[in-house]
Amino acid sequence: MSASQKQPFLNKERRRILYAFLAGIVLFIVGEMVRPGFASPSGIRAILVVASFVGIVAAGQTFVILIGGIDLSVPWVLNAGAILMVTSSLGHDARAIPALALTLGMGAAVGALNGAGVALLGIPAVVMTLAMNGIMQGLTLGLSGGMTCTSCGAYAPPVVQAAVHQSFLGLPIVLWIWIAIIIVVSFLLAMTRFGRMTYTVGNNARASHLAGIHVSGVTIVLYALSGFFSALAGIMLVGFGGQAALGMGDPYLFQSIAAVVIGGVYILGGRGHYLGSVAGAISLTVLVSVLLAFNMPDYGRSIVYGIVILALLLLYGREEDSA
Amino acid sequence: MPLPETILAASGPRRSRLSHALTQNIGLALVVALLIACVILYCVLYIVTQHRLPGGFELTSTLNNTMPLAFAALAQTLVVLTRGIDLSVGGVIDLTNAVAALTLMGGPVSTTLWTIAILGIGALCGLLNGVLVAIGRLQPILVTLSTLSIFQGIAIRILPQPGGAMPPGFTGVLANPNVPLSLIYIPIIGILWAIFRRTPLGVAVFAIGNDAMAASSHGISVKRTTILAYMLGGVASACAGLFLAANATAGDATTGDTYTLTSIVAAVLGGVSLFGGRGSGLGALFGAFVTVMVVNILFFAHIDPLYQTFYEGLFLLAAVIAANVIGQIVRRRR
Amino acid sequence: MTIAAVEAVDIGKAYGGVAALTKASFTASAGEVHALVGENGAGKSTLIKIMGGRVRPDTGEIRIGGQAVSLAGPQAAHQLGAWTVFQELTLLPWMTVAENLLLRQEPRAFGLIDRKATLRDADALLARFGVMHIDPRALVEDISLAERQTVEIVRAVSHAPKILFLDEPTSSLVEREVEWLFGQIRRLREQGCCIVFTSHRWAEIRSIADRITIFRGGQDVGTFTDIDEDEAVRLMTGRRVEALYPAMSPAPDDAPVMMEARALSGPNLRQVSFALRRGEVLGVGGLAGHGHRELFRTVFGDAHASGGTLSVQGKEKRFRSPRAAIASGIALVPEDRKSEGLLLRMSVRDNASLAILKRLTRFGILKPQEERRAAQHVVDSLRVRTAGIGLAVGALSGGNQQKVLLGRWLETECQILLLYDVTRGVDVATKHEIYELVVALARDGHAILFYSSDAEELAHLCHRVLVMREGVVAAELRAPGVTAEDIVSAAVRDHRAA
Repeated sequence: MSASQKQPFLNKERRRILYAFLAGIVLFIVGEMVRPGFASPSGIRAILVVASFVGIVAAGQTFVILIGGIDLSVPWVLNAGAILMVTSSLGHDARAIPALALTLGMGAAVGALNGAGVALLGIPAVVMTLAMNGIMQGLTLGLSGGMTCTSCGAYAPPVVQAAVHQSFLGLPIVLWIWIAIIIVVSFLLAMTRFGRMTYTVGNNARASHLAGIHVSGVTIVLYALSGFFSALAGIMLVGFGGQAALGMGDPYLFQSIAAVVIGGVYILGGRGHYLGSVAGAISLTVLVSVLLAFNMPDYGRSIVYGIVILALLLLYGREEDSA
Repeated sequence: MPLPETILAASGPRRSRLSHALTQNIGLALVVALLIACVILYCVLYIVTQHRLPGGFELTSTLNNTMPLAFAALAQTLVVLTRGIDLSVGGVIDLTNAVAALTLMGGPVSTTLWTIAILGIGALCGLLNGVLVAIGRLQPILVTLSTLSIFQGIAIRILPQPGGAMPPGFTGVLANPNVPLSLIYIPIIGILWAIFRRTPLGVAVFAIGNDAMAASSHGISVKRTTILAYMLGGVASACAGLFLAANATAGDATTGDTYTLTSIVAAVLGGVSLFGGRGSGLGALFGAFVTVMVVNILFFAHIDPLYQTFYEGLFLLAAVIAANVIGQIVRRRR
Repeated sequence: MTIAAVEAVDIGKAYGGVAALTKASFTASAGEVHALVGENGAGKSTLIKIMGGRVRPDTGEIRIGGQAVSLAGPQAAHQLGAWTVFQELTLLPWMTVAENLLLRQEPRAFGLIDRKATLRDADALLARFGVMHIDPRALVEDISLAERQTVEIVRAVSHAPKILFLDEPTSSLVEREVEWLFGQIRRLREQGCCIVFTSHRWAEIRSIADRITIFRGGQDVGTFTDIDEDEAVRLMTGRRVEALYPAMSPAPDDAPVMMEARALSGPNLRQVSFALRRGEVLGVGGLAGHGHRELFRTVFGDAHASGGTLSVQGKEKRFRSPRAAIASGIALVPEDRKSEGLLLRMSVRDNASLAILKRLTRFGILKPQEERRAAQHVVDSLRVRTAGIGLAVGALSGGNQQKVLLGRWLETECQILLLYDVTRGVDVATKHEIYELVVALARDGHAILFYSSDAEELAHLCHRVLVMREGVVAAELRAPGVTAEDIVSAAVRDHRAA
């Protein structure tokens, strides 16, 4: 074998991550030109905080897309998480810890159900998570009486609000949380047995099964993680906005999938890194902010958004010809 | 020609036509059974709560409510058969619905021409999807997710506020509020589907969904077939937009959004395989009726409407699991 | 036999740097049946794919009727009257036999496809070629592999080809169906058709081929009208048969039984019993589709037995998954290394360490140095030719891929190896290494269940050979003195009675 077949340091995957980060930087520069102060430290901080919500959801989406799945239940798991957080804590710091545990546990449990449907019952991921989204929407609306319940108007506990708004060493705490998630998730995928199994299942579930990997177990845990991160994003969002609202999860489905794909994670599974999804989440958020800086109306943003994603996909997201 | 030397003789009688028809169309058979069950349950609930049989009004409104979904499900089916998925169905419905709201209030000739133009818009949307998938070699789910965003944006640009109006003649034909005229669209869809199945394009769509490599080795153009399937899907979505506008007698650039997901639900209930190559437009049509009937049933069962999506989700899962189980049993018995 | 109907001239083709064909040539005339023979991996299938228009050659020329042609696809070949039955069948699984037979030439009525007439025509077509046992209404996925092969052949023959390529047409057929196929081939030959086919069964080649071209290592080594098997094998392998196979380890007749199956039954598996001893290589042979696959899957916990028992080292086991079987010291090298064995896009290291990940982790965290060491051990001990353990395993040649897969299991403490056709698509040199490895492993005390589609291999490597037919062990042959012919004849014998 010739040396030319060795993998270069900047292989295709790493190149995509780099592109996604570069796109974000270019957009920051464009924003600065349109509206001076856009890329000031405080401007960047504000954008990164918004990006962190997408990025946290995208962590879960990355996990399931790495095994060729998809999680369409993000919107209402997130929304349910947000509402469960305020209604169970009622805005008291004393109840924050059990409320956090309850909310995150709910997310993980719902995700595990998704995984069980996919892995054990053989339901296509699109159908399973779509149905779960409906189930969570119905439960959330029904149990909260359409957000008319007395506890529904409660605020997030001050600690949770502080976690989003206050700074530590010059960075908002929510960004520290995100950095921790980036480190943990990247470590999990790159350095642990579980991460390795995730990639092998995504590459070839049949071969993994025959090599003794517990494919259905891995699948269930990955979907559970996706539910967990959706619920976590819900908590962060009520911390950010103070209160929960209906429909607050809706934008995050599209954005999380877009972020993952822009970051170079292969939609059919097996290849990609969370760092790529992080880059995707940041560039998408900067893009939206730039369009806002242009005073572009909603419809225009929607159109540009679609076109930019298509353009990026055409740039590097080509399906490979052969296996 | 001399007779071949060795004959591979039949070892027993062949299975009957009916037996083949039933096992090969098990998905269709199941959705029909499901629909019948839904209709019976609906009638029972109706009698219990209203103390009379459902009549013409209920039939008319059910039909008019179902037609947009039926066309959306048909659009989804055409694309899913090629091993794709079309998330932009809702966007195309939004767009065509918005255009309809602004253009249809003219004379009969202008209305007719604009109707055709709107179908053309649907075809163009499908063309864009198809080209990006077949020639751009992008994953269908990503392409249509992006174009969904684009189509929705254009729709809102065209019709920022719900409004516009539909000429009475247009409404009278597509979604007549007084008589169950929409009944005729069921056989029309059935006939159109039967024709489609019997065209080379129809065969090609199924063939590439079965195995694109094998199909192309028999001279079927995978690119051309894929693009045409997305275009036909776009036209069907445009039909859904028109029927939706007629039923609402006005336009709204956002009401189509929900159809992306419900079209998948209806197609899956109708026995269309998300892995391509298997399913039928008729199944999707019945799947759409089941989807609407479930909502009606929940209403008459006095289920809190807030819980509606909860029961719909459960129902979808139950139906898919049941179809899996029954399919396996049928398979094993042979 | 003056005008060559078809000629391949110095065809070369490489996949990802690995040459499948270097300089392959042959010439076949109208009215001739021409056999292409060679070892697995000699490049016959690639050559047929190129001749059929499925794959484009890198170098060389194809001539049809004396004219150099460039085949853009199977369609282009069809237009020149050349039809091919590829080894990977091209039937559409969820469509009916009739739809498949008449794809793109369905009878029309009022411009639309007439489905009734399609069925009628398909029925007539099957009847015309003497195929009465296949129902044109059946879905392809519901008919057997042999029936699919038959349909594919009928489809090709129905076009009255001038040139017909058949890649291993008999591999899944039983005796009676082979007779039928040969009847068709003879009839086509009388009509002036040129038939080119590949086969591994020497008796068949002798009975039907007019000329034989032998391939080795991606090129032709000669064309013959009459050649005896020993000579042919010598040309195919480049060495004497005896030299290819290492000496067997002594038969361990009184060694402890490692695995015992009693009346194991399941889909395509009926009452299979055997005992596998420490140090034994127990062969499993027979025609494709007769239950070997199911036997291996069942023993490995990948399929569930409906009856019978399996015991490992005296303890009765009921494996619910391969994981359970692996925990009992069993390893499987599966049939299709690309779809069932390897993670093609992942590195040699990732593939080699897959079965021992647990040992390479502490608190769930991988120990990269130990993993690298283990992977390097696989590469070194099995002499895997690779630029490094970081290279994607899909970039290696077939033989080296197979070594990585074998090495994955040798790193575990497995004592029972299930080897399913491990030399398929592997070059001769690697084959030889694998044979030596198998014998060495047996000598080391491993118990090996060894299936091969190559009867020669079974005859030379195994202490005993179980020949399976229709899910039943039809014969047990004992070394020494077993020949490939014994195995093949046991596989097809009395088929009509059974």
